[in-house]
Amino acid sequence: MSDGTDQGPEHFLGFEGLRRGFGRLEVLRDVSGHAAAGEVLLVTGPNGCGKSTLLRCLAGLVRPQRGTIDCRVDRRDLDTAARRRALGFLSPDLELWGELTTFENLEFVGRLRRVGPERGAELLDRLGLPHDRPAAALSSGMRQRLRWAFALLHRPAVLLLDEPLQNLDAPGRRDVLALLQEHLETGLAVVANPESVDVPGVERHLELAG
Amino acid sequence: MSWLAEAWAIFAKEWRCELRTRYALNTVGLFAFTTLVTVSLTVGPVGSSEEMRPILPTLLWLVLLFAASAGLPRTFVHEEETKSADALRLAADPSALFCGKVLYNLSLIVLLEILVVPLFLGMLGLEVASPVDLLLAMAAGGAGLAVGSTLIAAIVGQARARGPLFAVLAFPVLLPLLKLAIDASLGAVLGEPAQMAIMLSFLYDSMLMVAGLMLFPAIWNP
Repeated sequence: MSDGTDQGPEHFLGFEGLRRGFGRLEVLRDVSGHAAAGEVLLVTGPNGCGKSTLLRCLAGLVRPQRGTIDCRVDRRDLDTAARRRALGFLSPDLELWGELTTFENLEFVGRLRRVGPERGAELLDRLGLPHDRPAAALSSGMRQRLRWAFALLHRPAVLLLDEPLQNLDAPGRRDVLALLQEHLETGLAVVANPESVDVPGVERHLELAG
Repeated sequence: MSWLAEAWAIFAKEWRCELRTRYALNTVGLFAFTTLVTVSLTVGPVGSSEEMRPILPTLLWLVLLFAASAGLPRTFVHEEETKSADALRLAADPSALFCGKVLYNLSLIVLLEILVVPLFLGMLGLEVASPVDLLLAMAAGGAGLAVGSTLIAAIVGQARARGPLFAVLAFPVLLPLLKLAIDASLGAVLGEPAQMAIMLSFLYDSMLMVAGLMLFPAIWNP
């Protein structure tokens, strides 16, 4: 009897024949791709081609109508519920709680993810964010940095990054790319962006048609 | 233990956010105060009237229901509107999230009852024959209101037309609970046996909680 483990790559994310539509609009049609540890799968394409929908499917936030998603972390297959909690996810459509400070937000998420508050403080320092400013009072660039901290808080093996450099200034880009580089020493990432973007570790490229 | 810590973290986060915005506290408090004053000015101190006494527990529960309805449906809607719901979907265990939210709504209702019940009894001059039974009726009714409202709020949060949906969904879920809570409160006020209604109320609360724990993951996640 299999316990869901095998001798394949330590971390792996693959998807095959994914389809997803909203009403009559078919956004994803037979989309396939994969990435293993140390690799970045870059997904590009014009606005509305389904990049964000693809990442939401991979994160377990949207159910694909057809196709399979195979996610392995530490050589263990994850079902949708486990995948949702294991992955790191960054999206322009995701906000944290505006009433809480940056530190309180990460402390709260850390409690849910069983990560100590020192990890949140470390990420805030590395991303140049104040600890005590309410999230609602952050600029758009700072909110993007906070999204990075949210995605990386639990040291996920798989990162899903939707337009990860949006609104970031040059120092912000440098900081987040350094964090991505560190992540790729053991983990993998899927990066979605309208155009090709200069991120480290890009081994595969998937272009979605508009 | 870690599951409990998660539920507690959600409860603590809800209160931390609430104490900074005071949205639910202000809405529920003002609504309760307005309806209480309206009822007391219209009906007057009729608590000693044998004809009016049986009606008053119904009025009390109507005040509680309408005040709670002003604040509790916001539980998940606020997070959907501010786009923080996905952060919860990704980070929280659904059953711990549900229990944390129920606990928060329960604490709001307990506060509401602490505010409303003594004022209602005082303003209407209503004497209670069995205060212990009334306390149990309030606990059972309040718990059901908290669990039912949380579950319905989760459904409403997913819908596009949110406006009338809470009232439509709450009617069949909360009607049996209200009937039992009113019967139990009436028994407590008149000094008649209320134990059966109280027991059935707690039973209904348990059924709602089990149904909530089973349904919530499917409602909350795609």
